[in-house]
Amino acid sequence: MIDDLTVTIVLLAGTSLFLPLFQLSKWKTAKLPGYVLAVVLGATMVLIGLFTYSPSAVSWAGTLVAPDQLGGIFALVTVGITLAVTVASFDFEKSTSDPVYYSLLGFTALGMVLLSYSQDLLMLFVSWELMSLPTYVLAGFDKKLRSNEASVKYAIIGAMSSAVILYAISLAYGLTGSTQISAVVSGFASHPTALAGVAALLFVAGFGFKMSIVPFHMWIPDAYEGAPTTISTLLAAATKKAGFIAAIRVLLGITTLYVVTGSPLFTMANVFAVLAVVTMTVGNVSALTQKSMTRLLAYSSIAQAGYMLIGFVAFSNAPGSAAATLGLTGTIFHVINHAVMKGAAFLAAALVLLQLKRADLGAYNGLGKRMPITAFTLTIAFLGLAGVPPLSGFWSKLLLVLSVANGPYGWVALAAILNSAFSLGYYAWIIKRMYIDEGESTEKVKEPFWFVLVFAVMVGLIIGIGLFPQQVISFASSAASSFVG
Amino acid sequence: MEGGSGGASAVSFVLSLLIALPLFGAPVVYAAGKIDKRLGIYVSLALSAAILVIAGYIFWQVYATPPAPGQYLFQEKYSWISFSSFGLDYFLGTDGLSSPLLFVSALLTVLVVLGSRKLIDHHEAEYYSLIFMFEGAIMGVFTSLNLILFYIFWEVVLIPMFFFIGVWGGPRRKYAALKFIIFTFAGSTIMLLGFLYVYLGMLPNATFDIPYLAGKIPVALQYLPLLASFIGFAVKLPLVPFHTWLPDAHVEAPSPISVLLAGVLLKMGGYGFLRISIGLFPNASVQYAWVFLALGLFSMFYGAVAALLQRDLKKMIAFTSINHMGFVLFGAYATLVSGNLLGIQGAIFQMFTHALAVGALFMLTGYIQHQAGTREIPLLRGLGTTMPRTATILVLGAAAAMGLPPFSSFLAEFMVIAAGISASAITAISVLVPVITAGYFLWMIKRTVLSPAEPGHEVHDMGWDDVAAFAVYLIPLVVLIVTSYLILTPALPVAEFLRGLT
Repeated sequence: MIDDLTVTIVLLAGTSLFLPLFQLSKWKTAKLPGYVLAVVLGATMVLIGLFTYSPSAVSWAGTLVAPDQLGGIFALVTVGITLAVTVASFDFEKSTSDPVYYSLLGFTALGMVLLSYSQDLLMLFVSWELMSLPTYVLAGFDKKLRSNEASVKYAIIGAMSSAVILYAISLAYGLTGSTQISAVVSGFASHPTALAGVAALLFVAGFGFKMSIVPFHMWIPDAYEGAPTTISTLLAAATKKAGFIAAIRVLLGITTLYVVTGSPLFTMANVFAVLAVVTMTVGNVSALTQKSMTRLLAYSSIAQAGYMLIGFVAFSNAPGSAAATLGLTGTIFHVINHAVMKGAAFLAAALVLLQLKRADLGAYNGLGKRMPITAFTLTIAFLGLAGVPPLSGFWSKLLLVLSVANGPYGWVALAAILNSAFSLGYYAWIIKRMYIDEGESTEKVKEPFWFVLVFAVMVGLIIGIGLFPQQVISFASSAASSFVG
Repeated sequence: MEGGSGGASAVSFVLSLLIALPLFGAPVVYAAGKIDKRLGIYVSLALSAAILVIAGYIFWQVYATPPAPGQYLFQEKYSWISFSSFGLDYFLGTDGLSSPLLFVSALLTVLVVLGSRKLIDHHEAEYYSLIFMFEGAIMGVFTSLNLILFYIFWEVVLIPMFFFIGVWGGPRRKYAALKFIIFTFAGSTIMLLGFLYVYLGMLPNATFDIPYLAGKIPVALQYLPLLASFIGFAVKLPLVPFHTWLPDAHVEAPSPISVLLAGVLLKMGGYGFLRISIGLFPNASVQYAWVFLALGLFSMFYGAVAALLQRDLKKMIAFTSINHMGFVLFGAYATLVSGNLLGIQGAIFQMFTHALAVGALFMLTGYIQHQAGTREIPLLRGLGTTMPRTATILVLGAAAAMGLPPFSSFLAEFMVIAAGISASAITAISVLVPVITAGYFLWMIKRTVLSPAEPGHEVHDMGWDDVAAFAVYLIPLVVLIVTSYLILTPALPVAEFLRGLT
């Protein structure tokens, strides 16, 4: 039987396979391949939206892939960001008019969709690779030394993280005799051996590379800086979220039932709490000292991963409790918000780099006069990232903080709030550069149509979700409670 | 839904209108200003006047039918966010504490728009639209009856102020803008933490709604939030030693913005102390009332003495603000200790009069700098002969600020000091503060107004239209000493309610 999920997968895979053929045709350099992919991604979002609201429409919910609401949210977010990146790429550098570029974007999107719905470790691993491999190529797509260096670095680290995940999967299979995530989870719970603990930590490390958790974050600033900035957007706003869905499915499952060692200190909740606080603090402190915009955004992205981990702390601390639901809701909500805010910020940085040929912070002096729409977008995105109300980022941070504030992890909540206040320091610093400092020139710079369109949608989302968060929160909340329950 | 409020039958979208009109008017003002600068100013004037009418109506209604203690007029309550255990309301209301502040904020906005037309000469469209963003957020702060909504408006206020100081400010504006936003943002996040602490401590029957929290928070839950909210409000008020951002911000801000800063933004601190620090954490407040009284008293003296030492006229007035806002805190806590209602009534009155008196003086410094080219007191000589109209306003403004009858600031300070004395005779020392204040103002007037003019120094006086604008600051102060009941009558149930909480 043909259903929405099948159509989605066939559509994405078919388009991605077919797109490189444009190179043989006379439309080789035209924008047509980009338009095709954008339309297909848009259709994909509609389809995913349809069966996320009524999952019963999918008939083959089997052991490998199951279209639940949680996966639907992540699929929507990641495909949405891919769509934004595709649309912004219409007006980007020459290299992005290559049909292969769009084909690779399509494969990445497909990988992220499958990953969002994976119920089996092998399926998860295959989709992980399907998502990652095209991005290694995309990161080096500029064919410049810097870009190639980023690509190689990213590929090596990526291969290593894949190896770590695969090793963890092999341990899990050896211990439980299954690769089904639910079976692994219950197997770990019924036979809590030290090896199961090792497997859990290996999963943390493997997913941690993509989620940009300290200490697995070293590659991020270099890769984001070297890659074409549209691709950095994809890495920060989309593939990172794919790391989170993998971690939610596997790690939250394991920790709901299992304490890694006999030591009362060494619980998964403690591991996540320490990782969260270290990640947000290292990210924010490092961001403060950066002189290049892409690096600053990279570190800010690391810091945000720390906030998202707070939900993991709440969940692991008391699985099945109200706080766990609240925390997971907060994480999902922050994933959505962060994707939009960081996507907007990175695309704004991409446009500045494209038009002014500079990525250092000096390029942002007086930007409010030169590129008013870009500067406004960046301002809203930054205020949202800092958690200034009433923008969307405020609400998700509020839920995250609330989920841990009451109980043994109050210090994580405190750290998150102090970090937020601290982070406004560097965000306000950039806003000051754009609107208060004088630039070298006041000449207006062109802001291409497709970028402006994407900015408008994203700013609308940041403000709109900020003013009317109810819909998104209840969506995230029902996904979270169905996962918890 | 709502039980027994005095204004249950009254139209209850007025407060939303008061917030929405400026917030949605801001883009209109921007568009008008982009088309033509003069058009932008006319639209701003019309909009601010309309808002003033609404605020005036609210002020009058609250006077005519003062809500009973602990009740609010013009309540609006809608569920905003709710899921599983978490609920948040859009909840507005006003009483005798907030209605004078709403009115004075709307009045000052009109005057600031009027005053800005000569003093602001670049990016006018952005400037006037930010003024309305600021006004809308301020109205939200003073009417929110939900802690999170309050916090949201509280933070939104920072953004226009950051740009005001940073874009239209003086030579060190960049430094002052960053210092302002980091100081106040840090203060308010700590305040938010206090609110969350209350909420979590009250689970499972938790709420963020102020009317339901008042008097219901267990004493053990009050101490930390009191400290946290104290930090947030003390930075805004500002209370020594949290005041260091204020002189910088004032010196760098353009004069009309200093009016908003001193006249409106500082009131957020005083309002917060009354509505939240005392209103929600009364038992802890009473226990530590002596600390607050001492800090208020210290601020009063510190502000007065520091003002004495300033050479910059504007900085002097900035320190006057610290001195005057100390009265607010002092009066509020004097009532808690002594039970004498004059303290809180005086504090509310003081906020109103300070807004107008110091607002006039700040605006005046802008004119003086514009016309004479300096604000240095020793360099301003012979204003009495060269700029007679300006000098007259300066003398009258100074008289209002130092609490000389017939200006109603006299009454406000008198009430606060009286309440202080009934709390403890030692605080009688506070009568020295108005003496020092009078001292530095008179000394300033002697040096600037009564000194001989430097020969051959040509300066232009302000026009009669500006004199009329300044009259709008000062006339209400004179009127209010006779009609003080306009503020004190609705303030009485507020004072009774706050006193009755412990």
